[in-house]
Amino acid sequence: MSVDLDGVREIGVGINVMELDQVVEGRIRFLDSPQEVLSFVASDAVASSIVISRGGTTTFMAPALASGVCGLITLQGSPESHLGILSREFGIPCVMSAQFTEGIQTARGETIPADGTLVRLDVSSVPEGRILLVPDDGR
Amino acid sequence: MTDADDFERYLALYQAEVPTGIPGEREMRKRIRVPFTDVNEDDVRRDDLTLDEINGWRAYMGWSLWDVIAQRSTEGESGLIPRQEYETISFLQIWALYPEMMREITDAVGVDGLIEIGDRKRHQVGTKNNITRIWSPANCCHLGRAIALELGLESPEDRPRDLDGVIQFARRLMYGTWGAGPGFACGNDYKVRILDQELVDRFLDDEERLDDPDRRAVFRRFNATTELLGFLVHYDCRFGLQDTGPYEVPGGGFMLVRDHWLHEPAYPWTASTEGLPYCVIEAMVFRPDEPMDVKINDIGTTFTKPVDYLRHLSGVAVYAKDQEDTPMSELRRIDATEMQEITARSMSATTQLYRMLAEKDREQKIRDGINVYATDHIRPIARDAGVWEQLKPRIDELQELTLAGWPNLADGQAATVLAPLFVKGLAYRPLEEAPTR
Repeated sequence: MSVDLDGVREIGVGINVMELDQVVEGRIRFLDSPQEVLSFVASDAVASSIVISRGGTTTFMAPALASGVCGLITLQGSPESHLGILSREFGIPCVMSAQFTEGIQTARGETIPADGTLVRLDVSSVPEGRILLVPDDGR
Repeated sequence: MTDADDFERYLALYQAEVPTGIPGEREMRKRIRVPFTDVNEDDVRRDDLTLDEINGWRAYMGWSLWDVIAQRSTEGESGLIPRQEYETISFLQIWALYPEMMREITDAVGVDGLIEIGDRKRHQVGTKNNITRIWSPANCCHLGRAIALELGLESPEDRPRDLDGVIQFARRLMYGTWGAGPGFACGNDYKVRILDQELVDRFLDDEERLDDPDRRAVFRRFNATTELLGFLVHYDCRFGLQDTGPYEVPGGGFMLVRDHWLHEPAYPWTASTEGLPYCVIEAMVFRPDEPMDVKINDIGTTFTKPVDYLRHLSGVAVYAKDQEDTPMSELRRIDATEMQEITARSMSATTQLYRMLAEKDREQKIRDGINVYATDHIRPIARDAGVWEQLKPRIDELQELTLAGWPNLADGQAATVLAPLFVKGLAYRPLEEAPTR
């Protein structure tokens, strides 16, 4: 595991859809049902959130894509999946089929960062995208 | 070796042997005894096929299906739409119905009429009579047959002539679309340059440069938002979008021509999209300053290396086709202001459709998805042939074969049944004998 000078460290890796220069930081929000998606897009947290979706299909995350989340992470899927294609069209950084080394357990036993965790997506190269935990003094 | 390792091998190489892309296509050509995935004036007219022709087609089609969707096989669940379930059950519905419907369409217009319908996509945009409606129905029929066999609902001896008919239906449309030669996009090196040069020139003449970052942002948002709505209208499948190209641009660069269908009158839920154009068409001109590899697959989806192709977008010409029957002469250019209006209305429609889908029960969504799949795969061709209204009542009714497969496939078995059929190519195993005449 690598730790940068500023305390940033890797907590997950996946498949990066698209190579981008930008630094993407946001707070994690795991969306597990359509009702959670609808509540989320009605909140004021959209633009500062990196959302986690289990699947790699498009429609489940449709309102979140259209509302302009700052990043996407999926637990399944690949850049050829519909969500991979649409994240490309929206220009939203997206890491797919991510696997995390630490975090909380979902009801299905997947390991993911807890809601509110501040993370950075390293999408500077393909095929691998990295998810980095950012020290968070502001919480 | 674990099952997961074994599955990974089959995702990496078709039947753990053949790669994706042009090298794989060339390898499959070497492996088939007769080049029946190429089409010509004479062989599209025959009704009876030889065993080598059928098996050669099936071998190539199996690789082609894997090439298009194997990498997507890991995309998992939707959380909103039970797509894997409805798609898998749809294959049974399509296999139950389409062979006879393809005969009815052919009877109505003749072989030459079918070839002419294949040709129409060369002269128009915003038509769902596109390459997806050649490749995908043929695949669905083969998969439906394989699922019926897998579940013990049919035996290999049943319906001996139907595979010949399905293959020749596709090949006649291919001949109309591509002319003599390879009938698949992959066989044409993933270049779908099917539009008349006259149309390409018209779009180039209409190009508006996107040097202004704000104009570029308006277009990019319009493109993404309308594409997203197309997915929702069509129950999370790719009937709502289609690309052709890349067409060469004088002075360097290339053009992609893209259709997004927003208001499809075939489905009742499109009340949410009332007021939007039937289809919007984007002619996108790229003048990259780095080498780009551009491929369009057999369901009209573009993949590029590097991936962020829109970074190189130089100019666009955007049009609306207001109604399904709007002729090409009435294709209407739309400006940045109207693009912003359509974007806003598409976002609103997306939210409405999403809420509607979130409230529907699972069984109804499977039924709706089957209806979308069984309708949209053949309706464009049947409409062009003038027989859609006679086919529609049967499409709307779940067939005996479909209902027989439903209990297994709707409740968690869809992925288990389907994945080996296409990832390992088991749906396309060679037939042991030619169909009985």
